[in-house]
Formats: sequence, structure tokens, C-alpha cells
Amino acid sequence: RVNRFYCVLPRTCVSALLLPERYDFLSPSTSLQRQILLLELLYHTMASEGLDDASPKRTNVEDMSLLSITDGENERGIPVVKFIEDVDAFANSFSPPATAELLIGAYSELHSKFKTFETSLTQKKNNFKLKVPDIEKSLALVKNLQSKKEAGESAITRYNLADNVYGKAEVDTSVGIVNLWLGANVMLEYTYEEAIDFLALNLDNAKTESKIVNEDLAFVRDQIVTSEVSMTRIFNWDVRKKRAEGGEEQKP
Amino acid sequence: MMVTPAEEEVDVEVRREDQDNINKFAGLNARLRELREERNLIKQSLERLDDASTELMMSSGGENVMLLIGESFFDTSEEEATAFCEAEVERMTETLESLDEEEASIVEKQAELKKVLYGRFGKSIQLEDK
Repeated sequence: RVNRFYCVLPRTCVSALLLPERYDFLSPSTSLQRQILLLELLYHTMASEGLDDASPKRTNVEDMSLLSITDGENERGIPVVKFIEDVDAFANSFSPPATAELLIGAYSELHSKFKTFETSLTQKKNNFKLKVPDIEKSLALVKNLQSKKEAGESAITRYNLADNVYGKAEVDTSVGIVNLWLGANVMLEYTYEEAIDFLALNLDNAKTESKIVNEDLAFVRDQIVTSEVSMTRIFNWDVRKKRAEGGEEQKP
Repeated sequence: MMVTPAEEEVDVEVRREDQDNINKFAGLNARLRELREERNLIKQSLERLDDASTELMMSSGGENVMLLIGESFFDTSEEEATAFCEAEVERMTETLESLDEEEASIVEKQAELKKVLYGRFGKSIQLEDK
């Protein structure tokens, strides 16, 4: 069966990644599965020409760690994907020369790591998207109370007693005290000015953190695109190489 | 992603700057999608505000207008509520304009990148929205 090639091939630390099921984790934009099937077909046809790559290649993989395909990290420790200038030269820089499956496997592993990281960053970003309007609402409310106090009025409000039930209350703004919920069942008393300062500071912090998360997200997306393009290039290089070798063998 | 038929294959190597351009394009695409979502949300809010101000104008007025600030309702006069609505509308229109500007500049940058990338890779690259 054609699939057998992949279970048998690299008995390496990345061999687990080459089982076809793994490719479901790749983004739909890279239908690497189809391309891998194409590669399998090529192997199958060339196997009869004596270019049988089905024999277990005990490629020495101590050379090929994830370090070989990363190029440092950004300020927050996210690795940078190594851009390959020349696929052929890069493959031959390992001893023994790395096969396409090995390289694609390594990039694929890095790619899925980035994808998981992207998901967690996106969640963080969405949390901030909720947090920031929340703080803005609280800030608006306290400012409103402040202005009522300055106007010397009391505020009549309907507050949320329970779901769909509101209670009417009169807020004596001259007292000038609000209680802010700090989370973890902790509530603290503040004057209007203190509360406004505190909330403004919180808002600033949240916005800065949210900006950092956005930057990281953009960075991770760049790495994902780079690794996808690299995988495709390695694959194409391999296809051309095999085709060239197969062409030579097939000379009548 | 499609597999180009062998005859149409362009044997162009991907250089570092090409990779950078591709990454830039992908980043711009993501930002564009975000912008369009934000824009929709703001448009919806503007519609609601519009409905609210219409209601205000038609209502009998007096002291029974309630404004939702945070998560509680505050009794306000009609004038206060109208002023509030107008301020919100102005704020949102400004945001909408800046979003529009950003969207236009992104589309422009993308058009330039498309030219460069199609020039380099021709049919081997896919840059359109599905």
C-alpha cells in the first residue's frame, strides 16, 4: 500500500509527524495532504525504476533539531522561522544530507506549534476586546456620577438586581464614594477622583497589553506563512529533483 | 492551494524579499478583515443611535428618559439624553472615518504588493480573496 512508505521511512524523532492524520492540523490554505499524495504517487512509480526509497533510511537526525530551522527569537521568546535561501544547499548542509520528508516534517512540527500559539494569542486578544469596553463603561459611569455631584444633583438609577429585574435607587452623589470590584471577591472603596484615576490607569494598561498581543499575533502569523511557503518550496524542490533523477534513469 | 500543471510551472526561486512581501500581504489581509468587522459593528451602533434619537424626538419628553450607562439606567432629561446621543454619534462617525482611511490605505498597499508578487511569480501564486 502506498501509505506504508510513510510509516517505514524516517525512523527519526520526527517520524511521528509524517502519519497522514497529522496533516489535518495544517491550515486549509496548504493542502499539503494532496501534495503529499502526489509525492507518494511519484515514489510509487519510481520505485519500479529502482529508485526505491521505501527502504528505511536511517537518517542521522542529531543534526536536525528544531534549532536548525529557527533563527533566534523575538522579544517575547517566540522563535523566528529560518528562511532558506537555497533549498538544495540547506538540505546538503546536514550530514548525511537531509531528505525532503525530514525537512518538511520539521517545518510541519514548527508550523503546528505556531498554529496553537496563534489560537491562544487570538483568545487573549478577544479577552482584551471584552475587557477594554468594560473598563470604559465603568469609567463613563464614575465620570457621570462625578458630574452629577458637581451639579449638586443626586442620580436616580435603575440597577440590575437580577436578570431582567431592575431596582430603583437614588444615589447620593455628595458622598462621592464608589466601590470598585477588583476581582477575586474583593471590593475597594474609592472617591470619585481616585476611582477615575484608577480606572484610567487600568484602561491604559489593558490597551498597552492588547497592543503587545496584537504585535505578537502579527509576528506569529508571519512565521506561519514563512513555514508554509518553506514547506511548499522544499516539496517542489524534491519533486523536481526526483523528476530529474527519474528522467535520467528512464533514458531508453 | 492548487498544483500547477507541469507545463505552466515557473521555476522562480523565492528570495528573502519575496518571502517578506508575502508575509506583508498576509498581514495586511488579516488587518483588512478585522477592519471590516469593526466597521460593521460601528455601523450597527450608529443605526441604533439613530433610532434612539428619533424615538427621543417623538417622545413626550420630560423626566422619564432613562440612559444606559455601564450596566445601570439613569434617569435623565430629554435634552441630556439627546446631547448624549449626538456626542456618541459624532464619536462613532469619527472612528468610522479613520477606519475607512485605514482600509483605503491597506487596499492601496495590497494592490502594489500584488503587482510585485504577480510580476515575480505569475500564476504560481494565489492572492485573491476566495
